[in-house]
Amino acid sequence: MIQTVNFIFWLLVIPFCIGLVPASVMPENKRDPITVFIAGYLLMWSVFEVIAIPAVILIKYDNFTFVLRYFTAAAILLAAAGILLRYYDYRKSGGETWLGIANLRDAVFSAEAKAEWLIFAVLLGFQLYMAVTRASFDGDDAYYVVQSLMAQQSNAMYKNLPYTGWSSSLDVRHALAVFPMWVAFVAVNAGVHATVVSHVVMPLALIPLSYFVYYETAKALFGENKENAAVFMIMMALFQIFGNVSIYTNETFFLTRTWQGKAVTASFVIPLCFLLILWLYNEEKENKGRKAGLWIMFVCMNMTAGVCSSLAVFLMTILTGAAAFCIMAVKREFKLPVKLVLCCIPNAIYVLLYLGLAG
Amino acid sequence: MWGIFMESVVIFQNYVGYHQNKFLFGIYLFFLLYLLKTEKDKKIRAILIYTPLLILIAFFCPLFRKVFVRLFEDADTYYRLLWLVQMSTVSAYGAVKMCGKHRKLMLIVMSIAVVACGKYVYSSEYITKAENMYHLPQEAIEVAKIIEPEKGRAVALVPADLIYYVRQYSSNINMPYGREMLIANWDYYNEMYEAMEGTEVIDTPVFAELVRNYGCNYVVLNKTRKTSQSLEDYGFELYDSTENYLIYQTDQSAG
Repeated sequence: MIQTVNFIFWLLVIPFCIGLVPASVMPENKRDPITVFIAGYLLMWSVFEVIAIPAVILIKYDNFTFVLRYFTAAAILLAAAGILLRYYDYRKSGGETWLGIANLRDAVFSAEAKAEWLIFAVLLGFQLYMAVTRASFDGDDAYYVVQSLMAQQSNAMYKNLPYTGWSSSLDVRHALAVFPMWVAFVAVNAGVHATVVSHVVMPLALIPLSYFVYYETAKALFGENKENAAVFMIMMALFQIFGNVSIYTNETFFLTRTWQGKAVTASFVIPLCFLLILWLYNEEKENKGRKAGLWIMFVCMNMTAGVCSSLAVFLMTILTGAAAFCIMAVKREFKLPVKLVLCCIPNAIYVLLYLGLAG
Repeated sequence: MWGIFMESVVIFQNYVGYHQNKFLFGIYLFFLLYLLKTEKDKKIRAILIYTPLLILIAFFCPLFRKVFVRLFEDADTYYRLLWLVQMSTVSAYGAVKMCGKHRKLMLIVMSIAVVACGKYVYSSEYITKAENMYHLPQEAIEVAKIIEPEKGRAVALVPADLIYYVRQYSSNINMPYGREMLIANWDYYNEMYEAMEGTEVIDTPVFAELVRNYGCNYVVLNKTRKTSQSLEDYGFELYDSTENYLIYQTDQSAG
């Protein structure tokens, strides 16, 4: 029971409250609970990266203890700041309903749309059920899951070879991608074995998180047309379930190795990059108000890529560069592409650090 | 350059399941071309059509592949570039755009097409019914529980079919070699691995000496595994067993 409460706290409450920080400088139309939740995860993982990577590199003994202590404090402080900022906004606006909840409450769905959303809910529920009741073998678990477990059981990050347990020099390529350490962090705080957290709990959090991104993408593409959004979501769910045309596709990674950083890259970070560029494009054109929150999300998304895998940093840079180039070519628009490319500065720092450590 | 291009073609074919007669990528290409012809919104054209197209072109460009492999010293992950083309998002968006007001009909047609052209992920040979909350084979957990020390570390030599799992249950169990020995193209050599897995019948004298040299506290053998001489004759003691494995304790204490 207490474990469930801990999971709810660290996987739902804390990310949502942290998300209120960037939400306070977001356009009104983006301040809905789903966007706040996505933003919260991005900011949380970015802060985790800033604390964990120096600890991996600089601290010789018990470096995970350092992360546990300081990330717990940082996450709680950020969450508290988020609540305070939201409260301040609430008071200033004279009691406006929080975060567009009124829009959701007053939404009218046709019978057809209700049926379509129900089909989607069944497909999503099925994926979650299968994630819990089916074991997916992946050889890489002998690396990533064991890294999480070693941090939990030995308080040490990247000090030993996960395959054998013997001590080793720093494996730079993997050590900078600290996603397994975040899994270990959740495991320690919940008091649950890291392998159980990886294989059972993470899919329950990360699969819906990816669908939140797809839902926001549907909204960005179809506006308020809820019927189209529902059909889009059903299609997305079917693609995930039947996308196992090889072991390499992002759809396969999504449902068979959900807990690994590279799967998070494939199914969460990359689709989110498309979504954020769509949003930023709209807001730069139409909204003169506060949109810093979206740019914060974009920077944090690049940092999250680094948390997931070192290759993801490269992929996000290519994607951002390609999108910036296409926007420039199609719209003769220079301001947005330049800003997008500038948001990749964390990627450049990551690569320099990588090259510096790899020697 | 032609050779590098053909390598990219092979990677692409493997990615899209071409040799398994899977055509989900065909659906994607169809809707990408459809959107290329019909999409009016310049923003969506730039982000959802031209960007994936540009990435596809880069993927097949030999020079790009050369730079990628040089940067990462790793050609095996090149396929991940195809993650950026967003097969599902573009297809789903194209399908919804195409159907207009005939949403129900399109949903049925597209569902049939995706099921027919794709592959059901849960039918994968790598997915089985979970035996426990760890999602590890139950017998691997039983073996790990027997070996796991109360304090400190133990070193255990385990057969290849347990290598992936034992340390996922307890990282306090060290092994003389691990998963790296099971991936043929990683090309590692380990004499203990050769003695354990390389021969049909384990050469007990050589094996026993290596086990001691590697400081193993436990040796786990499949019950069907043959040895030239009894392990007990070389100072090993049968410590415990599970349905399929015998667990021997060596004369070296764990700690």
